[in-house]
Amino acid sequence: MIGVAYAKHSDPAAAVRACAVALGSGRPQLLLAFCGGKHDPGALRAALRDVFGPAPVYGGSAAGCIGRGGFGYSGFELGLVAFHDPGTTPEVVVTRGLLEDERAAGAAMGREVSGIAGPGDVVLLLFDSVAVAAPLRLHPASSIVAGFHAGFGDRPVCLLGGGLLTDMNLSGGWVFDGDEVVKHAAVALVFPPCIRAETAVMHGCRPVSTFMEITRIDGAEVYELDGKPALSVIERMLGLPLGGARGQELTLVATLGEKQGDPYAPFDENAYVNRLILHANPETGSVTLFEKDFARGTRVQIMSRDNGLMLDSVRRGVAEVNRAIARTRPLLGLYIDCAGRGSSRSGAPVEEAELVRRTLDPAVPLLGFYSGVEIAPFAAGRSRPLDWTGVLTVLRRA
Amino acid sequence: MSEAAQDVLIGQLERELAYYRRECNDLGARLLRLQEEQSQTFREARRSRTVVKLTREAYRLADGDHPPDEIGVPMLEIIIENALCDGAALLQVEPDGETFRVTHAIGAGAEGPRHPVTIPSPPEFFFTTARTPMEPLAYGLTGILRLPYILWAHDRHAGRALILGNRSESNVSRPFEAGDQEFIEAALSVYIDLMLRKETQFALRGAMAAAERASAARARFLATLTHELRTPLNAIIGYSEMMVPGSRYDPAPADRGRYMELILEAAQYLLKLSDGILDYSYLEQALPSLAPEWLPAEEMLVGTAALVSGEGRSRGVVLRAAPIAEGLELCIDPLRFRQVLHNLLGNAVKFTGAGGLVEVMAETTPDGGAAVIVRDSGVGMQPQDIPRALEPFQQLDPSASRSFGGAGLGLPIARRLVEAHGGELLLESVPGQGTTATIRLPPSRVRLKQD
Repeated sequence: MIGVAYAKHSDPAAAVRACAVALGSGRPQLLLAFCGGKHDPGALRAALRDVFGPAPVYGGSAAGCIGRGGFGYSGFELGLVAFHDPGTTPEVVVTRGLLEDERAAGAAMGREVSGIAGPGDVVLLLFDSVAVAAPLRLHPASSIVAGFHAGFGDRPVCLLGGGLLTDMNLSGGWVFDGDEVVKHAAVALVFPPCIRAETAVMHGCRPVSTFMEITRIDGAEVYELDGKPALSVIERMLGLPLGGARGQELTLVATLGEKQGDPYAPFDENAYVNRLILHANPETGSVTLFEKDFARGTRVQIMSRDNGLMLDSVRRGVAEVNRAIARTRPLLGLYIDCAGRGSSRSGAPVEEAELVRRTLDPAVPLLGFYSGVEIAPFAAGRSRPLDWTGVLTVLRRA
Repeated sequence: MSEAAQDVLIGQLERELAYYRRECNDLGARLLRLQEEQSQTFREARRSRTVVKLTREAYRLADGDHPPDEIGVPMLEIIIENALCDGAALLQVEPDGETFRVTHAIGAGAEGPRHPVTIPSPPEFFFTTARTPMEPLAYGLTGILRLPYILWAHDRHAGRALILGNRSESNVSRPFEAGDQEFIEAALSVYIDLMLRKETQFALRGAMAAAERASAARARFLATLTHELRTPLNAIIGYSEMMVPGSRYDPAPADRGRYMELILEAAQYLLKLSDGILDYSYLEQALPSLAPEWLPAEEMLVGTAALVSGEGRSRGVVLRAAPIAEGLELCIDPLRFRQVLHNLLGNAVKFTGAGGLVEVMAETTPDGGAAVIVRDSGVGMQPQDIPRALEPFQQLDPSASRSFGGAGLGLPIARRLVEAHGGELLLESVPGQGTTATIRLPPSRVRLKQD
């Protein structure tokens, strides 16, 4: 049995008690916890220990949580998944090496997971998204995931996951590693072979430019598009200067998208890997992306967030998952939702998380969290980190 | 097709491609801007709706069972949820109007020490941004939550303030602006309104509980009174029947004398009981007609002690009046204040065993008032029984009235009379060691007469 609970309270102990009431009696084998970033993580971990005893706790900070009973991103939310049945409880691999080398840490984790996971097994990867808060530097998911795949090998694996944040401003992040609260860590929950996942990736961006080639890039910093300073190209598109504090507003406005497959095929949102723009750098004329997986020669388009498209995508994605789990035994619905999709940030007239809560099959226990980046199988291939997406997964018995 | 024609066609196609690329990018740029304008409009509309949402959610707290001092935190939770800020605090203003004390705080900045903060001429509304100069006002206000960007509202009349804070100015924590005044003032007003409602609600509950307690006390009193009346009346009727002519008992002359004494004792007890009840019943009418006058404290204390000293001697209790500051005068109603002292001294003597000591004294207090103290070395009482002893119609121990007599009205009457003088009656007691009754009179009723 897998139970879920959601609560919101500024006192972490009260939030834990409310979740415990919702979960009912019984000592879980393992807890997966997503904790609003305004909570004191140490106090919350202590409260979990008081209420649930020595059960290991994995997960970490979240910019907000989503449950059947409510959702929010005030920073005082708490979402819990309690695994009671050893037959459905995941094995866990932990690394604390992100600060030294994200790719190497991901590779080590992939190697260890490969010793546990069978072909096609579901692996949930959660990691601390923020390496340094000021000046802001992220732990790039692209490096961690690339390392994971390199370490894991060529066997198929259903890798899902998300980056953990304390809030939508990317102020920080932390991880529950089973026993403690730690920074620069990642955890991989490896589910038993009897569990399979039905996943839909919901998007919300549309191309608004012709293809442009990245002609100069260093890591996550794009200097030139089609031989011109990247920032001036984007400024021309937006019709406004983005220097100074407004540079951060780019995160709210546009992304760079790489189309997979035939570039001239009709628009299909599932064909795009989007990269959010972390900030603009007027002094170098460059923009910094959330990830560093684009390279010189990558053809990209400027993408506009489209709230209407985002909501349509959610409706389609949830319907797709509902169809896929019909006549199966669903165990857990997990929604990994980009923090930027919350209406306070996206400006969407309807909270897309609300749509998920309302339209996902009510028989599915649902818990979600607002993340920094989402990881999901992409274009029927290997999993990739994605930006500005909602990844809805329902775990079911095989 | 000739090569030249092909070149022309290629040239046309290249121009056409360039045209479509340009148009695509121009239209895309327009779409992007429209999309952003629409998002911005929705975000602005969301901010407007926030005030309504906050008000609706906050007023749900009125239905909850939170006491007035416990609605602060849930109110701040609602505010933070709607304002999407990093931290928030509610403050109370001290009587000087410039010192603020944090009463509730959550989120960033809530964990630090909460020293009172002085804000000279506190504004009703204020905010800081990256462009705000760090002048004393901004410095003082940002110091409350130790966050650089704050939004502040202060209600002078209610003596309350609300402050929100952010660590940074970014796309979610956008800079505070003048347009946020409506939000923060609405939040503060709702909080103040809820506080007042809760205070009224809890005062009403308290009054209702007091009325219920009073009603129960009256019921108990009637039961006690019935018992207290029946016991001596039974004695009077029973002994009279035994002595009435034609009685089958025909008591001996010696017994008749003893019976007559018992009848007299019962009648005197009935009279005392009636006096007490009458006194208490007329208290409400008597209080407004107090006729205070300046009297020497010594005269009042020594005179009253003399009245009780006879009973003290008969019980073997020493009654002593301590020296009183020369010239100390009290503005009191002589009849009623004497009644107070008489009740206290009578109780002290009654509950002190033979060989015990009762002292009466008066002294000035640091605030310019006076304390009249009656201290005994008697049986004392449990601390939890003291409030009940001061309530009318309460019997701490039913056996006490039988052992010591009285209907238990002396202390309640004394308390009401002291309060009518603007003072208060305090009791301290230790079982087995004795009781100290202190009458505190305000400075307006105390003076030292200079010769």
